[in-house]
Amino acid sequence: MTGAPAIQTAGLSKTYPNAVAALVGLDLRVERGEVMGYLGPNGAGKSTTIRMLVDLIRATAGSATILGLDTRAQSVAARARLGYLPGDLRLPDRLTGRTQLDSLARLRGQTDAGYRDALCERFGVVLDRPMRELSRGNRQKIGIVQAFMHRPEVLILDEPTSGLDPLLQGEFRTLLRETAADGRTVFLSSHVLDEVQHAADRVAIVNRGRLVDLDTVGNLRRRALRHVTITFREPVDAAPFAALSSVRVEGADGATVRLAAPANAMDAIVKAVAAHDVVDLTSQPADLEEIFLELYREPADVG
Amino acid sequence: MSAELLRRGLADHRRALIGWCIGAAAYAAMLASIFPSIHGAADLNKLIQNYPEALKELLGVSAGITTGPGYLDVEFFNLILPLLLLVMAIGSGARQVAGDEDAGRLELLLSYPLRRRDTVLSKGAVVGVEVAIVAAAVFLALLVLSPIASLDLSVGKLAAGVAGVGLIAMLHGWLALTVGAAGGGRGLAIGVPAALAAAGYLINGLHGLAGWLDPFRLLSSFWLVGTSPLEQGLNWWGVLVLVLGAAVVLGAGTRLFERRDLRVP
Repeated sequence: MTGAPAIQTAGLSKTYPNAVAALVGLDLRVERGEVMGYLGPNGAGKSTTIRMLVDLIRATAGSATILGLDTRAQSVAARARLGYLPGDLRLPDRLTGRTQLDSLARLRGQTDAGYRDALCERFGVVLDRPMRELSRGNRQKIGIVQAFMHRPEVLILDEPTSGLDPLLQGEFRTLLRETAADGRTVFLSSHVLDEVQHAADRVAIVNRGRLVDLDTVGNLRRRALRHVTITFREPVDAAPFAALSSVRVEGADGATVRLAAPANAMDAIVKAVAAHDVVDLTSQPADLEEIFLELYREPADVG
Repeated sequence: MSAELLRRGLADHRRALIGWCIGAAAYAAMLASIFPSIHGAADLNKLIQNYPEALKELLGVSAGITTGPGYLDVEFFNLILPLLLLVMAIGSGARQVAGDEDAGRLELLLSYPLRRRDTVLSKGAVVGVEVAIVAAAVFLALLVLSPIASLDLSVGKLAAGVAGVGLIAMLHGWLALTVGAAGGGRGLAIGVPAALAAAGYLINGLHGLAGWLDPFRLLSSFWLVGTSPLEQGLNWWGVLVLVLGAAVVLGAGTRLFERRDLRVP
């Protein structure tokens, strides 16, 4: 099917037999050639989503497609066009990296080892020692190579950079960009925003089994709250600031008032501040990590 | 079926497999080397013929143990050989799905473009081939030793006897696979077929002694195959029942594995 999105889910839900709702009605569309970050705290439903897309576990409601192929009814065809890296990669202890990768390639009926060898060289994969002798990072590299080696159209990666040293994380981001530039799609999960913000075009955020936000990294940054600290000549009443739309008073200590507000509230703040004698005013953008934590908190406050 | 899964399954445990072959063949050789001292012992045969019927049945004695086939039936084919092959087959069957799943090794494998039923069938083939290889080693060892130790075995009955025991082992190995495919952990995947095998062995040995057990003999794979294969050959309709039973068990495994969630390691 040409034109079908790389990944699409409709009301995708998973309730485990112990009545835990791991994922509730996920509607998500990942376009071809896109790198999408899938973020959320541990236990938010990220791996549950991913394992349903790869047909390791089955949805209790809703459906999903990969390149237009139903992940249940056309599971084998979908998985043939997929590269997958599990969140907790376990490989047979006694096999060397080379035997492991050879075997996995044969399992796909793949004969061309050129790209695989190039990837191994790029990531410095240790090929000739058994898995049990390899560090976590070195095992993870083999996992990354097996996911990319057949140039799949869609890559689904569960916490791909865990265990990689920072240098290789940079190399990995380069690989993601190359893959996207090639028109192929990457869907990767993480519980740390920092890991995906440089690589992803868009970020979907889940918490407690629900999608809580979906936006570009740039927009998330623009929506970020600023921390504004104003020092007045004399102590002032903070109440008028708290009354401003979407402004929160984070602290008032005599002559110093600390506010948190989005960019579009700055004008109102400056006008309100101007009514007093000002000694100093600073504004600092909140980092993305903070926005992210804010989103994590939200549903908890509600329910 | 995936040729790569079969190849890999066998390669993963080739050392253990060689060990099983050597062990089973060595045990056969030891029995053969003892046989000449039993061969002429008419007193021993008289002693055993005076055993109560129930005890003779439990031991699997029919014609006596001073002939080569009678000796090997009692000393090898009725207990030790089935035990060896059962331990190996159940261990292999339990490892292939339940063990690998417990260890989290199925996660990556099942993300590859393979049908789950083909995964189960391939792993069933691994169990079958492993059993066949060890059974063949025993067959060859006894074939070579028969003239040397004057065991006087018929090639046809030896082949049938080894195949019959192999069939019992394969059935239980596939049951281990299927328990794992149905979602049982490694303990259950070993426990269920092991308990069935033990029950089958006891029923076969005791059904003559305890009359109420008699109807249950139809559930004993040992009874179905035949108690003294080297002397009397196999019970062919029983063999057919076991072959069908094994196919049903493995078929159920493919179905059950197809429809369930993979466990999180």
